[in-house]
Amino acid sequence: MTDTESKNNNLQKRTLGQWLFNPFQFIAGGGTLLLGLIIMLVSAFLGSLSNTHFDGVLDVHIGKAAPLWFFLSEVLIDWLCISVVLLIAALFVSRSSFRVVDIFGTQALARVPYLLSALALLPKGFGRFAKYLLSKAMQQMPTTTIQNSDALFFVIGAVISILMIIWMVVLMYRAYAVSCNTKGGKAIGSFIAALIIAEILSKMAIWQLAVRTGLL
Amino acid sequence: MKKLPSICPACQSQLNIKKLSCQKCDTEIEGLFELPALARLSAEDQEFVVQFVNCSGSLKEMARLQKLSYPTVRNQLDNVIEQIKAPENQG
Repeated sequence: MTDTESKNNNLQKRTLGQWLFNPFQFIAGGGTLLLGLIIMLVSAFLGSLSNTHFDGVLDVHIGKAAPLWFFLSEVLIDWLCISVVLLIAALFVSRSSFRVVDIFGTQALARVPYLLSALALLPKGFGRFAKYLLSKAMQQMPTTTIQNSDALFFVIGAVISILMIIWMVVLMYRAYAVSCNTKGGKAIGSFIAALIIAEILSKMAIWQLAVRTGLL
Repeated sequence: MKKLPSICPACQSQLNIKKLSCQKCDTEIEGLFELPALARLSAEDQEFVVQFVNCSGSLKEMARLQKLSYPTVRNQLDNVIEQIKAPENQG
């Protein structure tokens, strides 16, 4: 392999890594907001097919059946909570000017791993095995009959969901750092604080929505 | 012509100009002259400033040409501004 080929290969590897973990170097703004919203709504729709609720900024749970609008509301609440809290954090931490559309757009696209989570949790076996485990944990007689492949679907779904949450947190941090020009300890500290606040706010908002609309 | 270095390769401090000469008549001027603010920037940052001026100061145009996002280009500009302002704030 020549030096030039080696350099090109290294560049391609670096670019793939950047696209996976920091795409916001290359894309932000209105287009990203639109793309992120579409992906979020598709994730919610796929989630509704298997009763997968994104019921918090960092939450993925198999839950009760609900109308489609409730699944769509959950992802929008998650996104609004984290975007608004990070916007407020940036007002205190960032020394640069920033555009609101970049924060909301990049945070929307940072939720793309949930699309893969929704796909991974689509097989009915995941839900059946989750219900079975829950019954066992509560020392009740399982009401669902599980099939041989259900455990495999459950393990694959659970591993993918955990990896997707980790990937999403990395993307959310990168989105915050790029769109608000924050760096170092201040950026990490403010991001963690914002994430905790947004998680609490989103849980409360989704719970209130479920109560007020009679779904709980 | 060689590129003008702005940082000392031995101790990484800011370099100054000590000697200037005229290529036409060989007149030489010795003294201690500060590098202008833009010359103190790294070669990469100087290239960024040149492109910024060529784009009439449009960050959107810069982002389009460099295939980078708007906030990334704006962050680069903020970093350049910070470097230019740093000696002013010290002085």
